[in-house]
Amino acid sequence: MKNYLRSLLFILLAIASAAKAQDAELTPLDTVTINVQKLNSAMSAIQKLKITGYIQAQYQIADTLGIKSFAGGDFPAASDNRFMVRRGRIKFAYDSKLTKYVVQFDVSEKGLTIKDAYLNISDPFINAFSLTAGVFNRPFGYEIPYSSSQRESPERSRFTQTLFPGERDLGAMLTFQMPKTSPFNFLKIDAGFFNGNGPNSEFDKKKDFIGHIGIAKATKNEKVRYGLGFSYYNGGVYQGRLSTGRAAQTYELKAIGDTVSFAKIIGDSIVGSFHNRSYFGIDAQLTVETPLGFTTLRGEYINGKQPGTSGSSTSPTTTIPNSDTYLRKVRGSYVYFVQSFTGTKIAVVVKYDIYDPNIDISGNQIGLIPKSGITKAATAADIKYNTLGLGIIYAYTPNIKFTGYYDRVKNETSSNLTGYHSDLKDNVWTFRLQYKF
Amino acid sequence: MKKILFAIFVVTLAVGAQAQKIKGSDTMLPLSQKEAETYMKEHKGGSVMVTGGGSGVGIAALIDGTTEIAQASRKIKMDEKLKLQEAGVSYKEVVVAFDALAVVVNPGNKVSQLTREQLEGIFTGKIKNWKDVGGEDMKIVVYSRETSSGTYEFFKEHVMKQKNFAANVLSMPATGAIIQSISQTKGGIGYVGLAYVNKDVKALKISYNQGKTFIGPSMETAKNKSYPIIRPLQYYYNIKFAVKIKPYMDYVLSTTGQKVIEQVGYVPLK
Repeated sequence: MKNYLRSLLFILLAIASAAKAQDAELTPLDTVTINVQKLNSAMSAIQKLKITGYIQAQYQIADTLGIKSFAGGDFPAASDNRFMVRRGRIKFAYDSKLTKYVVQFDVSEKGLTIKDAYLNISDPFINAFSLTAGVFNRPFGYEIPYSSSQRESPERSRFTQTLFPGERDLGAMLTFQMPKTSPFNFLKIDAGFFNGNGPNSEFDKKKDFIGHIGIAKATKNEKVRYGLGFSYYNGGVYQGRLSTGRAAQTYELKAIGDTVSFAKIIGDSIVGSFHNRSYFGIDAQLTVETPLGFTTLRGEYINGKQPGTSGSSTSPTTTIPNSDTYLRKVRGSYVYFVQSFTGTKIAVVVKYDIYDPNIDISGNQIGLIPKSGITKAATAADIKYNTLGLGIIYAYTPNIKFTGYYDRVKNETSSNLTGYHSDLKDNVWTFRLQYKF
Repeated sequence: MKKILFAIFVVTLAVGAQAQKIKGSDTMLPLSQKEAETYMKEHKGGSVMVTGGGSGVGIAALIDGTTEIAQASRKIKMDEKLKLQEAGVSYKEVVVAFDALAVVVNPGNKVSQLTREQLEGIFTGKIKNWKDVGGEDMKIVVYSRETSSGTYEFFKEHVMKQKNFAANVLSMPATGAIIQSISQTKGGIGYVGLAYVNKDVKALKISYNQGKTFIGPSMETAKNKSYPIIRPLQYYYNIKFAVKIKPYMDYVLSTTGQKVIEQVGYVPLK
C-alpha cells in the first residue's frame, strides 16, 4: 500500500513539474496568441446575441386642447402640446443559425410593456421553412412589420391602428422563403393562427387566420426595387353579455325609407357565438434610384368586415366584448411618397391616408335619428377620415434622426351629428428626435 | 506580462482610432494589404488598417459607421444603398482594379478548357462526371464560396446566369481553402481570383461563344479584356471622410499604386 501511495505521489509530482516547465517555455507571443484564441472563442458566442434599440422623444402641438388623435394617442383634456417618449425600444435577439430567440420591450413614461417575445426555428434541410411562435407582428400587409424606427411618418395609418392595435398578436406562424442563394428568394409566404386580441391573454376559443404572400425584388442593375403582396385575415369576435347580464345584441345597417341606421338582427344574440371579422389587403412598393436620389412610392389597400361597438370600430384587445355588436364594412388605404436627395441627408415625405369605418353610410345619414325609434343612429365611430401628412427627415448620423411632420386631418361632416358639423380642429405637428443603435 | 499585454492593447486601440479603416471583400484583402503596406512606407505617420469578412460585411460596416472604406468585389445592392441613405451616409464608388476570375481544377485533371454552358451545368449539378466534358470517368467535386462573398455573387450572376448552385456544392469560407481543397482532390473544381492561382491548381481556358474560342486567365488576357470573366474591384467610401482618405485613395490610383496592384496579381485600371 505504501509503495502504491509513493508511486502515485511521484507521478503527481512529475505531472506538476512538467506542467510548470511547459508554462515557463511560453513566450509573450504564445501567451498573446492563447489569449486571442480565448477571446475569439468568447466573442463568437457573444456575437450570437444582438442588442438593438431606439428611443423616439418628441414634442407635439395640436390645434386644440384634448383632441382625439392617431398621432401618438389622444391629448390630455387640458393640453394642446406635449413632450413624450413615443417609443423606447430595446430588443435582445439570440441568433443561433437555425434557431432564434427574440424579446423586445418598450419603455416610456407610460411604463414598461412587452412588444415581442418569440422563438423562431428554421428547417435544417432546405432552409426555406421556419416556424415562429409567441408574440410578434401580424403577417398582414406591409406597414405592420415595417419598423417604426425606419418609417418616414411618425405613426402608422389610421386603419392599421384601428384594425390591428399594437400590431402584434399571440400565435404561431409558418413562413416559406427560399434561402438568399436561391433565385426564388424574392417570394415569401407567411401563414399563421393567432388569438386575435393583440398581445393580450386569450379570452375566447376561436383562433384567427392571417396570411400574406408577397414578392420583393430588385432589377438586375440594382436601380429599381419593387414589391407586391396580398393579405387575408379571417377571424371572429366573441358575442358576450352586457354588464347587466343580458346577452349582447347584434346590429347591422339597414335602409328604412330615406334613413340608413343600425337595425337589430333578430335572433342573433347567442352568447358564445362569433361574428366574422375578415379583411383582404393588397400592398405594393416601388423604389427608383435617379440622379436626384431615391424616389419611393408605397401603398396599401384593405377592405373587410369588422364587428365593433356603437362607439368604435377598433378590434377587441384586452377584455371579452361586453356590449352590443355593430357590424360594419370597413375600407382603408394609404400612399407614401418619399424622396431623398443625393449627397444630402434629407428626405421629404408626403402621405395620404384614408379610413372609412363604415362604407355603407356617409354624410348627413350619420347621426340621423330614425323616425321609427326602433333602429339606432350611426355615431362618430362611422365617420370617415382623410389624413394628409407632410414631413421632412434629416439623418444627422447613422444613429440620430430628426423628423418634422404635420398631420392635416379631415373628417367627414354631418349636420345630424353633434360635434361633426364641420371639420374638427385636430391637426398635429410632431417634432421627433430618434436615437437608434 | 500583464503590463506588456495592456501596453499592446492600448497601442492597438490608439492606432485603431487614428488609422484609416478598410473592411470587406476577402478577394481584395491581398490588394489592400499590399497597398496599405507600401503606402505606409512612403507616407510616414500614415496608418491603414485592413480587415476582410466579405463584401457584404464591408458595406454593412460602412452603413453602421465602423469603417471609412468598404472594399467590394461586387457592385453595391439596392437594399444596401437604401440603408446607407437611411443612415444619412453619402458614399462614393471608386473602381481601383479589375480581377479575372479563374476556374481551377486539380493539375492531374486532363480537362483544360470548358464552355460557360458546361460550367453552368457543373455548378448547378446537371453535369456530375468529368467524362461528360471530355475528362476521365471521375466524379466532379464542386467547391464554391460562402453566400456573403462578392465572388460567389459575381460567379452566380455572370457564369451561372443566376441559376441555383447544386445542393451538394461544398461551401468554403475563403479562397485559400478552395485552392487547398482542389490541390488535394483530383475531381475538384472551383473559382478563385487570378491572384490566388498557383502551381497547386490548374486554371482552365474558358469559352463564352459556345466553344469557338477558349481563353485562359492571365494578366495579359485580363488587361486586353479577351478573358471573359472579369470584374471590377471597388472601394466605397463615406464622403464625410473624403479629406482624410484622399492621400491613400490618390496613392492607390497613382502609377505606383497601380503597379502594386499588378504585383499582387490583380489587373490595373490602365
